[in-house]
Amino acid sequence: MKKRGLLIIALAMLVLVTPLFAQGGKEAAASPTTLSIAIRTLTNPYQANYKVGADMLGELEGLPVVTLTCEGSSEKQLNDVRALVAKTNGNVVFMIDPNESPNVIPLARELDAAGVYWVSWWNKPEDVKVWDYKNWVSHISFDGISAGEFTAETLFKSFGYEGKIIALQGLLSNSIAQDRFVGLQNILKKHPKVQMVAFEAADWDRTIAYEKTRNMLVAHPDIKGIWAANDNMALGALEALRAVGRAGQVLVTGVDGTTEIYEAIKKGEAAATVYNDSTYQAGIGLAIALAAKNGELDVAKMPKDQRQFFAEATNVDINNVDEIMKGASSYDFENLFASFSRPMN
Amino acid sequence: MKTKNSRSLENISTLRSKVSASAVGKLYHSIPISGQIISLGIVALIFSLGTNGQFLHISNIMTVLGLSAIPMILCLAVHQVIILGAMDLSLEGIVAITAVSAGLLLKNSVTANDVGLWIIPIVMLIGGLAGLVNGLLNTKLRMPSFISTLGMSWTLFGVAIMISKGSSIPLRDLRFQKVIISEFLGIPTVFILAILLGLVLYIMQNKTKLGKHMYAIGGNEILAKQAGVKVDRIKISIFGLTGMIYGLAGLLLVARLNSSAARYGNNLLFPAMTAVAVGGVSLSGGVGGALNAVIGTIIVVALNNGLVLMQINPYMQSAVNGIVLISAVALTIDRNKIGIIK
Repeated sequence: MKKRGLLIIALAMLVLVTPLFAQGGKEAAASPTTLSIAIRTLTNPYQANYKVGADMLGELEGLPVVTLTCEGSSEKQLNDVRALVAKTNGNVVFMIDPNESPNVIPLARELDAAGVYWVSWWNKPEDVKVWDYKNWVSHISFDGISAGEFTAETLFKSFGYEGKIIALQGLLSNSIAQDRFVGLQNILKKHPKVQMVAFEAADWDRTIAYEKTRNMLVAHPDIKGIWAANDNMALGALEALRAVGRAGQVLVTGVDGTTEIYEAIKKGEAAATVYNDSTYQAGIGLAIALAAKNGELDVAKMPKDQRQFFAEATNVDINNVDEIMKGASSYDFENLFASFSRPMN
Repeated sequence: MKTKNSRSLENISTLRSKVSASAVGKLYHSIPISGQIISLGIVALIFSLGTNGQFLHISNIMTVLGLSAIPMILCLAVHQVIILGAMDLSLEGIVAITAVSAGLLLKNSVTANDVGLWIIPIVMLIGGLAGLVNGLLNTKLRMPSFISTLGMSWTLFGVAIMISKGSSIPLRDLRFQKVIISEFLGIPTVFILAILLGLVLYIMQNKTKLGKHMYAIGGNEILAKQAGVKVDRIKISIFGLTGMIYGLAGLLLVARLNSSAARYGNNLLFPAMTAVAVGGVSLSGGVGGALNAVIGTIIVVALNNGLVLMQINPYMQSAVNGIVLISAVALTIDRNKIGIIK
């Protein structure tokens, strides 16, 4: 019984590691460069679209693509990257969405030592600078401030820039939540006739957003709009509005670009969202790393603004929601820094 | 004579004050949730002063009652296990799996299913089965319920993520949402549902043999066993019943948001547990019942509502919440009834 159990475990482990060998096994030293993305999982649509982008660039360049998922383990992410570098003899470039921000430090050391070029998205401790490493080409994050500004502006426009709003923030300790809220406040300053009468933290959660909104609606029944820091909370607020019979009269806005918020935009219940396109993230990240590897980018001479920067995501409102829902048919992976929004210091 | 008279008068007056004091005391002790009612009164007083009476406005009271329905159902579920002297942390996992099942089986925008009203027995069955497993792990494998139910929660949450592919499932069947946001005589229907459930459990706890045995097990499991109580069978059935009620709550949650996802169940365990504690259900078992669960939930929900109405800074709310909860529990627990503090 015990032996059989061990056998099953051994078999299961074998099955799990087999694809890793299968994907890269045939390539010898002189073979084409492998494009690899190290991400969290393939089970949520956002992360799964990273693979779509990587495959797209792979097809464009005629290069093999390997996807590494760490399933929430920083340790596994580092080990998988290390294993792939060894297998390809360093003939590989990476786009990495670090599992946790401190994880970029061992990754940067490891890849510097191996001479492998890479680009990271989203997470990095502020005091770690990309230019301290010679092979870490760029670190990019979508701009929370411009996202908050766009959704606020569109929301205010929906009621003619005059009236009261309430706001739902994400996890208060989260830097992206703070950035988006700064964006809202910037637009509030521009339009003095719009007044934010209350804001609550709903921790990115739809259930909490529903409850907080119901409570805020008691105190402020006369609001004209609800700004939320992500789509999930916006949709919770929308259902709270529906419960008091005001869905469609009071619009909500979010950030992320989920199918549900697109449908709400089409129905006239939501005003706007911002789409963080992970297909583009993976494609452009690998394209930048590949350009460095092929000598088209001289990393040492790149301006600091290109080494770490905030990128502009795709703004979505009633005007382009149909187009966005269809999905982009092609991407521009040649203009490497086209999405630049502002420098990251 | 004079001195004697005055003395007897004195006696009478002291006697009277003693009588009245003990009458108030008797009344206080005859209502099982008097401490909780007082603390709800204090919460109401503070918030109505802080919001210029808005807190006690009828529209706000109905909002609080409506919002308390789902946490109340969850609290009514979990408090049953706690009466037994066990613990059930599988709440979020069972809610996740039943919510996702409801999302995929009702008319939705991902699959072609549409089971209609059959969803009610289905979610209760799924929840009930998960609860039975909890019970079996606890009684037959002799695992501490704290750990086994925590393990179940993670397992079921993982399965829920897997079958929903980590994304949310919008519903196309609007009937459930219509019911949940409807009102009956101005009272939220979903709150009436929660109260009815509380009533059923109250009768079960106080008028049936099963109820008596539950308290016997919670009071002292070994003694109960020696007295001939079928401990294992009762524990398994209570875990099962608790699971069924979680399933119902999962469906209501999905109906309210008109969308389903595994993570909608997150953040529900903490309010349910605080409601249990604030309501005066002893975490060491054998003390408290459905009434405590009902009032405990209303206190917790009213507290959150009041903090929003008073516009306490969100950065401060978590701390205020914690302080008020500790004070509420300190005020409400009956120290005579609780033997062991764990």
